[in-house]
Amino acid sequence: MSYEEVIFYFVAAVTVLGALGVVVARNVVHSALFLILALLAVAGVFILLSAEFLAIVQILIYGGAVTILILFVMMLTRVRDMPQALDGPQRPFAALAAGAFLALSVLAAVSSDWPGETEKITVVPFRELGDALFRIWAVPFEVASLVLLVALIGAIILARSEEGE
Amino acid sequence: MEEAWLIPALPAAAFVILLLFGKYLPRHGDWLAIGAIATSFVLFFFVLADLLDDMVGTEFDKALGQSGIEWVSFGDFELRLGFQVDQLAIVMLAVVTFITLMVLVYSTGYMKGDPRYGWYFAAISLFAAAMLTLVLADNFLLLYAAWEGVGFGSYLLIGFWHEKRSATEAAKKAFITTRIGDVGLLIGIILLWREAGTFDMSEIFEFAESGGYSSEYLTMAVLFLFAGAVGKSAQFPLHVWLPDAMEGPTPVSALIHAATMVVAGVYLVARLMPLFAAADPIALNVVTAIGLTTVMMSATMGLVATDIKRVIAYSTINSLGLMMVALGSLSVSAAMLYLFAHSFFKALLFLSAGSVIHATERQEVSELGGLARRMPVTAAVFAVGALSMAGIVPLAGFWAKDEILNVAGDSQNFVVYGFLMLSVFITALYMTRVVILTFLGEPRDREAHQHAHDAEPVMTLPLLLLAGLTVMAGFVVFDGVGEALGFPGGIGEFVFLEGPEAFHFPWDVAVLSTLSAVAGLAGGFYFWSGAAEPARRAGELFRPAYEILKRKFFMDDIYQWAIDRVVLAAGGVIAWFDRNVVNDTGVDGSARLGVFAGFGMKFLETGKLPNYALAIVTGVIVLAIVFMVVRV
Amino acid sequence: MIPIENFLVLSGILFSIGIYGVLARRNAVLIIMSVELMLQAVSINFIAFAVYLHPEQFTGLIFAIFVITIAAAEVGLALGIILRIFRNKGTANVDEVDMLKW
Repeated sequence: MSYEEVIFYFVAAVTVLGALGVVVARNVVHSALFLILALLAVAGVFILLSAEFLAIVQILIYGGAVTILILFVMMLTRVRDMPQALDGPQRPFAALAAGAFLALSVLAAVSSDWPGETEKITVVPFRELGDALFRIWAVPFEVASLVLLVALIGAIILARSEEGE
Repeated sequence: MEEAWLIPALPAAAFVILLLFGKYLPRHGDWLAIGAIATSFVLFFFVLADLLDDMVGTEFDKALGQSGIEWVSFGDFELRLGFQVDQLAIVMLAVVTFITLMVLVYSTGYMKGDPRYGWYFAAISLFAAAMLTLVLADNFLLLYAAWEGVGFGSYLLIGFWHEKRSATEAAKKAFITTRIGDVGLLIGIILLWREAGTFDMSEIFEFAESGGYSSEYLTMAVLFLFAGAVGKSAQFPLHVWLPDAMEGPTPVSALIHAATMVVAGVYLVARLMPLFAAADPIALNVVTAIGLTTVMMSATMGLVATDIKRVIAYSTINSLGLMMVALGSLSVSAAMLYLFAHSFFKALLFLSAGSVIHATERQEVSELGGLARRMPVTAAVFAVGALSMAGIVPLAGFWAKDEILNVAGDSQNFVVYGFLMLSVFITALYMTRVVILTFLGEPRDREAHQHAHDAEPVMTLPLLLLAGLTVMAGFVVFDGVGEALGFPGGIGEFVFLEGPEAFHFPWDVAVLSTLSAVAGLAGGFYFWSGAAEPARRAGELFRPAYEILKRKFFMDDIYQWAIDRVVLAAGGVIAWFDRNVVNDTGVDGSARLGVFAGFGMKFLETGKLPNYALAIVTGVIVLAIVFMVVRV
Repeated sequence: MIPIENFLVLSGILFSIGIYGVLARRNAVLIIMSVELMLQAVSINFIAFAVYLHPEQFTGLIFAIFVITIAAAEVGLALGIILRIFRNKGTANVDEVDMLKW
């Protein structure tokens, strides 16, 4: 067992534990904290995949912005103040569906015959990534920024109190 | 000859424009309809010149006359939409465009002030377009479509005054009666196509001549085709619609129910003569028998009809029967000559009868009489038409009728010949009768007589033109006249299908037919002049025969009985089946099932997001399993 | 080295947990969090395929960047909608918002 594998299993275990915590925690704030844990662990997975740039983006956007936003909304919707069940009545079906999907995806991942290299990572340099992003993918990039702008305005309009409220 | 398609296209365009914008055009666009058909008439001369140019001696390569486009093509099957110009079509083109033009000009006077003046011209344009397409069609499908279009135009025009119940009844009767024949035509076309695999006429002719059809099969097919001709050309036993069709405006009767549409059946048989010739002789015998029956029945019924238009209608059926006899004698040229001559004098008769009706607003002969003094021009041209119909030398009807008598005498037995001679006598008799009752003697309705006068010039001019043609059209039988007009070998050789066939003029036939006709004339004067006392006494003497004729051989009663007892009873059963099984169980039942199922299904729509999400995930999992199993 | 299957299985586990969360939870905010987990799984998959199978094209990396971008926009909008629902209906539980039915 090489040290890389040891690190992978550790990071993977943290990821899975964090994710499980998100979906089973009895307290919504605990769920949010588990989410941060899972997201940071996924950043670790990205590093293992030698996608350092994405790991940094992951930590900045998810670990920072998204979780903060979620915590804010929890506060605004006073989820904690209302004593009520967090899970719906179709939990058994959910477990069944999730289990079936897990079995299928593991089966697909293991049994498929992947074309090309499956044992070794080829590192993609930052420079090439940036180059491609602003040359080949320039139009989608600009469209994505437009989407972000629209989402920003939309979120403001949705969340703002109307007069008389 | 590529411009031939324009001939039907122009009236069709006129119809569309009149239908859409007729209201906004000055004079409701009658000038547009007239202009379109006049242009078609001019185009006819160009097409004729082309045709004569393409002729080598008296031979004509049919392929030169064909033009068209590919319409539908799937697999090996190709359907062409094409026009065919040949000698036969040329004659019909001449007749249809000229008569339509005359009738439209006449109608501007006759229909003046009618609330649906514009629609009248639109409908006639539609009819003309369909009729011209029918004439030019080079395949059976196009022919059938035009055939139905013609029937539809006729339906519209018979029922033109649809405020009158009798007019709508007559329109329905005409449509349904001819439809019976049309079904036969369709079956015949399908039978021909089934074996030959094509709708193209010339290919089917070749197929038949090379023995592709068995004799019985071909005979059956042509008899079905002939059923279509029987319906359209008002032959026994489907002749009953034509007298009733006189409910339409009189110019319509002149155009459709005398000169053009009703001869479509004759044209069809003439067009398909190669098939009839290739079939068992029994087919031609059927044609002859039907034609002869029609001739005798219509001639005798014409003797007792009291409506001036109905008398002419019976004379039309009479003429159509004669043409069928000619075709039954394998003589296309005789039939086409009669068709050509007949269109002029029959249109003349109808249009001048129209002038009488227009002037007096009466059409029962018992209310007319003595009009010759008031309407001399109308009386004169009517008399010309009547004499032509009766077959008096030298009018067009004489030459054409003699030709038919001649071919019938040559190829049929003496019974046919004898009956035809008898019909000549009866025809002269009833034509004399209608002339006398309408124009001679004392006026029976003083008031109508007072107001009567010759019609305005726009109506009289077509009458005079037609009268002139009635006098002269017969001379085309002489080869010298035909050659002078530029037809190689004379008109008789121009209009032929099977080998050269000139017109004949045997003295025995001419003398005999003239004697019959003159005897008919004299008889007519004897029976009906003055107070018509001899006619009344003859009616008393032969009362049963008179009653049978009055009741039109009980044909209408038989049909009425058949409709009441057979059609309606069968219809009742079908209606019950439709109501209870098809409607209540099939349609309503399935609708109720849908409502019930929908009621049950709506509970699946809980409105709760997690349920929907679960359904999505389940769907994804099922799809994933399917893909993994089939390994796409 | 770590074979690619390890990452794929990890992403499958993460995605299944996300599915469970989306289906089982009734609070809208918790559902959004579960959706984020599923998006993370997808990103892992994309990156793994890019660096293992097609490092010369690395389209998967680009896609992961866009996934993160769009996810940020989506979270912003979704939370705005949740706030609005909470204000109008007094609840953030999705099974209590069921007006859209027969």
